[in-house]
Amino acid sequence: MQRAYVTILLVTVLQGTSPQDDGQWTMPGKNYAATRYSGLTQITPANAAKLRPVWNFSTGVLGGHEGQPLVVGTTMYVVTPFPNVLYAFDLTQEGYPLRWKYRPDVNPAAVGVACCDAINRGAVYADGKIIYNLLDGHTVAVDAQTGREIWKTQIGDIGEGETTPMAPFVARNRVIVGPSGGEFGIYGWVKGLDLATGKILWTAHNMGPDSLMLAQPGRSAFGGGANLGVSTWSGDAWKRGGAPVWGWISYDPQLDLIYFGTGNPGPYNTEQRPGENKWTNSVLARRPANGTLVWAYQFTPHDSWDYDANAEMILADFVVGGRMRKVLVHFDKNGFAYTLDRATGEVLVAEPFANVTWAKGINRTTGLPILDTTKTTGVSKGNVKGICPSLEGGKSPASPAAYSPRTGLFYTATNNLCMNFEASQVTRIPGTPYIGASTPYMAGPGGNMGEFIAWDAARGRKVWGIKEKYPVWSGSVVTAGGVVFYGTLDGWFKAADARTGKQLWKFKVGSGVVGAPISFRGANGKQYIAVYAGIGGDWFLLSGDVRSDDPADVRPPADFAPDLARHTSQGGIVWIFGL
Amino acid sequence: MVRGTWCVGLSLLAACGRGDSGSLPLSVRYPDHVAAGGSQPPGVELKNPIASDSTVVADGAKIFSAMNCDGCHGTGATGWVGPSLVDGRWRYGGSDGSLFQSIFYGRPRGMPAYGGVMSAGAIWKVVAYIRAQPVPSTVPTERWEPPQRP
Repeated sequence: MQRAYVTILLVTVLQGTSPQDDGQWTMPGKNYAATRYSGLTQITPANAAKLRPVWNFSTGVLGGHEGQPLVVGTTMYVVTPFPNVLYAFDLTQEGYPLRWKYRPDVNPAAVGVACCDAINRGAVYADGKIIYNLLDGHTVAVDAQTGREIWKTQIGDIGEGETTPMAPFVARNRVIVGPSGGEFGIYGWVKGLDLATGKILWTAHNMGPDSLMLAQPGRSAFGGGANLGVSTWSGDAWKRGGAPVWGWISYDPQLDLIYFGTGNPGPYNTEQRPGENKWTNSVLARRPANGTLVWAYQFTPHDSWDYDANAEMILADFVVGGRMRKVLVHFDKNGFAYTLDRATGEVLVAEPFANVTWAKGINRTTGLPILDTTKTTGVSKGNVKGICPSLEGGKSPASPAAYSPRTGLFYTATNNLCMNFEASQVTRIPGTPYIGASTPYMAGPGGNMGEFIAWDAARGRKVWGIKEKYPVWSGSVVTAGGVVFYGTLDGWFKAADARTGKQLWKFKVGSGVVGAPISFRGANGKQYIAVYAGIGGDWFLLSGDVRSDDPADVRPPADFAPDLARHTSQGGIVWIFGL
Repeated sequence: MVRGTWCVGLSLLAACGRGDSGSLPLSVRYPDHVAAGGSQPPGVELKNPIASDSTVVADGAKIFSAMNCDGCHGTGATGWVGPSLVDGRWRYGGSDGSLFQSIFYGRPRGMPAYGGVMSAGAIWKVVAYIRAQPVPSTVPTERWEPPQRP
């Protein structure tokens, strides 16, 4: 117990967070460290059973409602999936009426270039602006008070397969953005935009020559040679090698580094891209002001399974192996949870948090996975069976984890799915999918397809888990009151005791939850929890019968989840719960 | 904007502003063009010039995969991010001509125009493949049995 309190103090001092939570939620991960930890204390394990819905609002949009609302002052901001409407709700008035709504002009052709439903992962607040990405390759900044558009910048090209559903991040007056398109053979990048004007100040590619990667040779962890973004590929395959940036970004102001993960190499057929394919499926640490690459580490070299590394990099300071460390914690699609030194990229802990068959472990000295070579894929390998996790990931990057410095635990949704993988030769036609694999899923051992878990990242072990029938695809929030919240695909929103995992409360929210809950202090001083309902994202593809909106598209249920549509259908709803 | 464009287009046919849509040639009637799954304007219906047989259908299946159609519509065209093409339902019509136009010119919600990428002959083979797929009769209704009580 003493140790936990020391940790709080250290985190407070080291990360510069205010000891008193201001009750707002101004960026996707709550703070620079992306902990999704709320300092509010009114809701506790003792009273959580009395939670009740206090408000809800239909967004009028049916796509998958990923991401989270923002609360800035007394206004709540909600971005919808395509067509990316931005709502500003007045939390001081009864019924939270709109202050304004902003309807951008978005090219509907982007819907067909988005791999996995026309989702959006939310906005960020900075400098009086609400900033978010439109699906069609644009970033917009809108005046938080008036709803007027301040600037709009084209950052991506849907003709090349780039769409932009990720939530931008702001550090050092730069708006950091990246594209989706790992299934379209893009040439992945991040860009730094000027917060005031939207002008693109730098573009850093995730592979290719050092000059295009803004790389400093010799500095990257685990093999710092020159032009690794070319030499770890065959020919010019890096030019269409994927490495999208569709997840979350975090920032350490003292080290002055932003951290983000890159996605899969394209195509899925490994034999069309020999080499380690750096820096796909990697964490990259860059300077926000000019994009310089300081270090990088690749979780899954020469990816055989679509194990994107776009999941959040949560920053925390705690004791690992007897030493206080500044770490970065990452739950990868590949089923391993990594605790890295965030100054250098050194692997401190790497243990499986889900059922893993593709590797026997991670060599902490080399940083390389110890492969089970019977599970590697490619056209010549035929249909490779029994690969776990599935390409949905041991955890989806769309479902960000939370970290409580009070309990010292990380809280995350997980999936218990396996897959078969049959690769095929594929040709890149710009703007069309560049995949080359058929990958049917099945439930993993035990039959439950998901579990919500608490994880000790210093030791690399699960502390408790709540098994769920379906994959768990929501983000989570944990509070200083000691309660953790998450949602399920069959439409339940749940509260559990952060220390014990005891289930405290649940409520059926009208559609499956793929969004991330937040906690905020209302204008009346009370603590609230907000979350989106609205199944979609990959589930729009995987379980096509959860749709009811298109009479010209009627599909049978997914064979691995034949009754999901019995419990949920599409629908975008913003919910607020309180005591 | 759209309305204005149409007015310019229709004025070429000396019909704009008369308020008499009945005098328009049926083949340029706007609602007929956009009616998803509806009838094509008369006089423009295209027929597949390639006689459909198992070889043509097999070629079409190969092209469907080679041109990455399956990347959006799924293996076997059963639906993925793009709609199912084997459920007997159509946003933009399921006749030879409608399918050809959807592939050649694209459609606004993300269907790319393949007219510059594929030859007409290749498109007709894909049309033959799609039209050869059996339509399941049980799709519209899903029914779940309640769990058995012990």
